[in-house]
Amino acid sequence: MTGAWLRSREAGVAGLILLTVAAVGTINPRFLSVENARDILIAASPGLIVACGATLVIVLGEIDISMGALMGVCAAVLGKLVSAEHAGLPVWLATLIVLSLAAGIGLINGLLVTVARVPSIIATLGMLTILTGVGDLLMAGETIGGFPDSLRAFAIGHVGMLPMPVLVALACLAAFTVLTRETALGRRIYAVGSNAHAARLAGLPALRLKVLAFTLTGLLTGVATLISAPQLEVIEAGFGRQFELFVVTAVVVGGASMSGGAGSIAGSALGVLLLSLVRTALIFLQLGIGATYWERAIQGGFILAAVLADHVSRRRRVQR
Amino acid sequence: MKLGAYRYWHETVLAALIAALMIGAAVVDPRFVSWKTQIALSSHVWELALLAVPMTAIIITAGIDLSVGSAMALSAVVLGLAYQAGANAWLAAACGIVAGALCGTFNGLAVAWLRVHPLIVTLATLAAFRGVAEGISLGRPISGFPASFTVLGLGTIAGVPIAGVIVALIATAAGLALARTPSGLSLYAIGHNPAASRFSGLPVARLTVALYALSGTCAGLAAAIYVARRNTAKADLGTGLELDVITAVVLGGTSIFGGSGRIIGTVLGVLAIHETREFVGWHWEHEELNAIVVGVLLIAAVLLNRLFTRPTR
Repeated sequence: MTGAWLRSREAGVAGLILLTVAAVGTINPRFLSVENARDILIAASPGLIVACGATLVIVLGEIDISMGALMGVCAAVLGKLVSAEHAGLPVWLATLIVLSLAAGIGLINGLLVTVARVPSIIATLGMLTILTGVGDLLMAGETIGGFPDSLRAFAIGHVGMLPMPVLVALACLAAFTVLTRETALGRRIYAVGSNAHAARLAGLPALRLKVLAFTLTGLLTGVATLISAPQLEVIEAGFGRQFELFVVTAVVVGGASMSGGAGSIAGSALGVLLLSLVRTALIFLQLGIGATYWERAIQGGFILAAVLADHVSRRRRVQR
Repeated sequence: MKLGAYRYWHETVLAALIAALMIGAAVVDPRFVSWKTQIALSSHVWELALLAVPMTAIIITAGIDLSVGSAMALSAVVLGLAYQAGANAWLAAACGIVAGALCGTFNGLAVAWLRVHPLIVTLATLAAFRGVAEGISLGRPISGFPASFTVLGLGTIAGVPIAGVIVALIATAAGLALARTPSGLSLYAIGHNPAASRFSGLPVARLTVALYALSGTCAGLAAAIYVARRNTAKADLGTGLELDVITAVVLGGTSIFGGSGRIIGTVLGVLAIHETREFVGWHWEHEELNAIVVGVLLIAAVLLNRLFTRPTR
């Protein structure tokens, strides 16, 4: 049992995280401070939340790349609804509207993929393009600010030691871990993902599961916006851009397979943590101004290494 | 004639849509359809068209290349740095194209030899190539290229832009290669059934590597044209271009599942996106509307395609 776990993808990514923390901590001990850990977790929370939904979608053998653009639209709509200079709605109503909007867009994605049978990469690419335009139209080249204190307090508040965004992320992770591991619904998602044909013959409602996964991903993107956007003083155009690449990459690094059937919430969460760590680690290594320009190259290198290493190990297992 | 027997339904519908758009544009704003305006606006489309040609072939093999925008940025930065180091601008452009070809070869090797899913490989290199471009240039723009070089992006031959002539030649060559040569036809076989193609002796790995390498080479060439036109090379150029390219190819009727697609469709797809975009920008003066229109076009094209073809899966 433990032996199997040690060879799993989750253990591999966890090992990489420990190695990174140890190496950077040795060079700069301040990297190991509680404040830094907290900052990394806060920065990682939107990714952790959305990765829960993205994992379900990828396990089902589909893909969603519209999350970043949806986040931008949600942030713009939220700002317009609550700020005093625009609509000035009460926070609970604005929150409700943003969450329904996000879930609604997810539902449309799901219906396009299942009922209209548009391949998911195309449907969500179209949605990404449309939402990017809508977001830019809403922002109209300006910034949106003036979040009411209650919303800001929620996004930057604490419960005991835990910052609110981290708490929300942990709650999502716990709920989706139970969903995927302990419920019939979760088992069905993996069944459909590993063999769609067999699952259909067994009478599993593959289409309904897919609609659910896309809707949940939309809803979670709304949640992620609610905890991240009010942390900022103002929302700028381009908020959330390329977030989808971050999430999909993290889920893949965490062991999910693009052909469906494989992947776990724990693995995806570790993937998000690893990618977030790399980002901060580069700052703490104090390599000079030039190093920040290498951030993306190093992140890309990490992803390539993770994907290739997994591939080689998987092939070796098959050969045995 | 039965509806299913005619092979060019998608192209016909797309051409009709473009014609309708141009007629509508001529009614609303005759200046838009003038030769002069069209030539002036065409400079926006060459990189998109150049990248869409190899992307069509890649998607026909059921692959995908998300890294083309980043490979283009890396090529442009290599071009700029080589020029700054004292190389002749044309030699620098050659260095940029070689860098693009190397990027593509790397993708191809990872896809063909290690058999990692192309979506994953190119998602990783999308980040990595742009990262390297940012790293080696430290995010600084490089400009000041001589007029003898910028002619590649700005010059014309008998009123036709030089870049357009290059793109037309490459698209024609690719169209003929796909439709008439054994290698081109085997790409369709690979897209339909890679395992069967391998067992029947097709050089699947070699063709795949060559295809991705060609895609990178075209990204290098697109970088040279872009730099020549804008007279500046910067690591953030071509951000998000891969999505426009894929949209054009799918709009042109190439199936994302592989096995079908034609260059003529892609050319029409590029044209449809370009004209819609330019007209929306020209008439309503809202750049943001472009994205919405292109997104709706993409989904509508796939839905239309469903109506005219029998589902095979």
